[in-house]
Amino acid sequence: MSKEVFDLMLTGVGGEGVLTTGVIITKAAHDEGNFLGGVQLHGLSQRGGSIPTFVRFGSKEKIHSPGIMKTDADLILALEPIEAVKAVEYARKEKTTILINNYPYMPVYGNLQNVAYPTIQNIKKKIKPFAKEVGVIEADKVAEEKLGNIVYGNTIMIGAAIGSKKLPIKKETMKKALKDVVPRGVEKNLKAFELGLKMGKKLK
Amino acid sequence: MTKKLSEKHPRLLGEKGKRFPLLGNEAIARGAIEAGVGLVASYPGTPSSEVPMTLAKLSKDVGYYFEYSTNEKVSFEVAAGAAWSGVRSLVAMKHFGLNVASDSFSPVAYVGIEGGMVMVVADDPQGWSSAQSEQDTRYFGRMMRIPILEPSDPQEALELTKKAFEISEEFKIPFILRTTTKVSHAIETVKLGEIKKAKTKGRFKKNPEQYNNVRPHLQQLHREIDQKLVKINKKYGKKLNKVVPGKGKTGIITTGVSHEYVKEALQKLDLKVPIAKLTLTYPTPKEFISKFIKNKETVLVVEELQPVIENEVNRIAKDINPQIKVHGKNMLPRDGEYNMEIILPVMEKIFKKKLGVNFKKHQKKAEKAMKGIPPRKPVFCAGCPHRSTFYALKEVYGNDEVIYAGDVGCYVLGMFEPYKMQDFMISMGASTGLGHGINKATDQEVVVTIGDSTFFHSAMPGIANYSFNDGEAPLIVVFDNGVTAMTGHQPHPGTGLTGMGEKINPLKIEEVAEALGAEVVIANAYNQKELTKKIKELRNKKTERGPKVLVSKGECRLVTKRKYRRKGVPLIKFQINQDKCKKCGVCTNEFACPAIKEERKKTGDEPKYTIDTQLCLGCSVCSQVCPHNAIKAEKGGKK
Repeated sequence: MSKEVFDLMLTGVGGEGVLTTGVIITKAAHDEGNFLGGVQLHGLSQRGGSIPTFVRFGSKEKIHSPGIMKTDADLILALEPIEAVKAVEYARKEKTTILINNYPYMPVYGNLQNVAYPTIQNIKKKIKPFAKEVGVIEADKVAEEKLGNIVYGNTIMIGAAIGSKKLPIKKETMKKALKDVVPRGVEKNLKAFELGLKMGKKLK
Repeated sequence: MTKKLSEKHPRLLGEKGKRFPLLGNEAIARGAIEAGVGLVASYPGTPSSEVPMTLAKLSKDVGYYFEYSTNEKVSFEVAAGAAWSGVRSLVAMKHFGLNVASDSFSPVAYVGIEGGMVMVVADDPQGWSSAQSEQDTRYFGRMMRIPILEPSDPQEALELTKKAFEISEEFKIPFILRTTTKVSHAIETVKLGEIKKAKTKGRFKKNPEQYNNVRPHLQQLHREIDQKLVKINKKYGKKLNKVVPGKGKTGIITTGVSHEYVKEALQKLDLKVPIAKLTLTYPTPKEFISKFIKNKETVLVVEELQPVIENEVNRIAKDINPQIKVHGKNMLPRDGEYNMEIILPVMEKIFKKKLGVNFKKHQKKAEKAMKGIPPRKPVFCAGCPHRSTFYALKEVYGNDEVIYAGDVGCYVLGMFEPYKMQDFMISMGASTGLGHGINKATDQEVVVTIGDSTFFHSAMPGIANYSFNDGEAPLIVVFDNGVTAMTGHQPHPGTGLTGMGEKINPLKIEEVAEALGAEVVIANAYNQKELTKKIKELRNKKTERGPKVLVSKGECRLVTKRKYRRKGVPLIKFQINQDKCKKCGVCTNEFACPAIKEERKKTGDEPKYTIDTQLCLGCSVCSQVCPHNAIKAEKGGKK
């Protein structure tokens, strides 16, 4: 159990599994003896809108606010590229790592303005001034190719966060949390996790 | 017995002393179970939804009665009936739910209860999940003379739920447990207490003199409820409200989640300032506040929404310490919710100490980075039957001037681009009455759009009113997807299941509407031809007397998706034939399904349209609306 606080922000599009990803990480952080805080928003934002989830863990004495203070995130896991840009207000150059799942969900509203989806290079360029490190992970693509469904992309992202040593949770604890929270289809999830670990290691 | 439960639900029904991360709403549910709740009733409303969802899930295992009632007023009455019979009861609702329940609310408070009764009411500053207003429930307690407890985090939510049952029973008065979104949806490691065995059966003791509140008994009841409030304050005003010790002549008074922001901000600034943390906020803890402000030079009241406590502090200060400077809404907003970025700068200003983060500058920099990033407004899910129904309405009404009288549910998403087919949304069921008023006062054509759960909740009187009073009634379109979808797929009277999962004969909207005097037509929401044909037919009858109801039936596609996944059968997927595609953009710009991608290398380029088979839920409607017949089903899977 840490005496400090680790501030993780998860962001993505409603329906992508942001909440479930948050629940899995919460479970693992708890199992390692941390005190947990955070926010899981439910409601209107579920339907295809932007949806942030905050997971805070570490010392009970230091965690009070359910939300992370802007500029203060240690890690931002963006399950969708442009959602990473929207999250930069929670990041800062000296502190934050931003990991992006490079699988765009074109906003329907964006289509109407004839706007092109920004390239990943452009997104990285926008994010860099706010981050210590930026990592782009082909999580959903690999999930689709190797496991037949993008739903495993989120688990790859968790794996990558741990593999790159940006999320201070042990892999064994995370494996157990995956089994506990999503018992259905656990083999594929564990495979996804291993794939993520490897992809994360390569990031450095 | 207990051990078995903790094995089945290790987190929610864990043993005494264990610690688990719980959502605020889950903590409230656990608190109710620890208090031995015997009956729970609710109409789902976010941000309170997970209170009934958790209690529904655990009801059979723990052994209390649970129901989703048709609306909040009914659920309140069900809970009050149980409490009258000596059974502890809980009712949960969102802030507007209390408006619906309020008719019975005040009289029940007057006559009192036997078993403890807790009303969980979740306010939603910032409107995360509600659009109507930022209503502050704390005024309701004051108006109806009902005590209010306000937790600031999930642990306290659990403790105060138990406490609310206890004091409610002791003083025979219902309690409000008031939360806000960031208490209900906060996650925190919570220490569990002991589960008390539920008492599910009691006895209603006849006492017509007490329960019929007519005068002169009425005045007696009024006096009694006032006395109860005085006694509650006397016994619990000091016990439940706490002072966090600190130095200096400046103090802070906090309620709810604001307390957590204040604590963290002070910690970041390395300050130890005295804080009076209020949890029993009504009856106003006058003595407690008096003692806290007596020797202070300055006090800051931090509370979200209206200056309820601040006004009371000002009133108390007049007698106790007229020199004191009371800050509150002069430094903090009344609208929206609070967060660290709002609280920290105020602390910096008052205590003249800087952390050195310039939020405004940072925000500007972030906004600059956001330039060129397309916004993401909420949209109908891929495969949503509501999109299909709106599309058919658009086909029929085209550019004619039509007033779309909207209501509360997933179909509010019809207000956004490219549909823009909701001219107003006021409250549950209001589309019927408002549509009627506009119909009577103008020559404009009105279309009422309302969902299935909302139909049962409060549209029935509005439809009866059309039969009663209207000459030319507008077309009423009922979006029937079989569940209360927006709040998390809870059952309603038309679903065929109770809140505890028992099968029942569902009420049929078409039969109810017919009984209310309407001409009813049913259409398949996933069949564009049928929909447009039937809408046209009903539109042509607009000069005929009486209401016309179109029930557009189509199962919520998320429910369908789940059913198929459970069966292990893949849903059929659709694809765009690139040779046939004329790039007209109907599928994305007019139909707007999020599974259809419109990609271009750079802005202004000719786009390429594809369907993301990972997102497509196989509803087939895009293939029906494509003018070039370019969208076809892939092989494999079932429709």
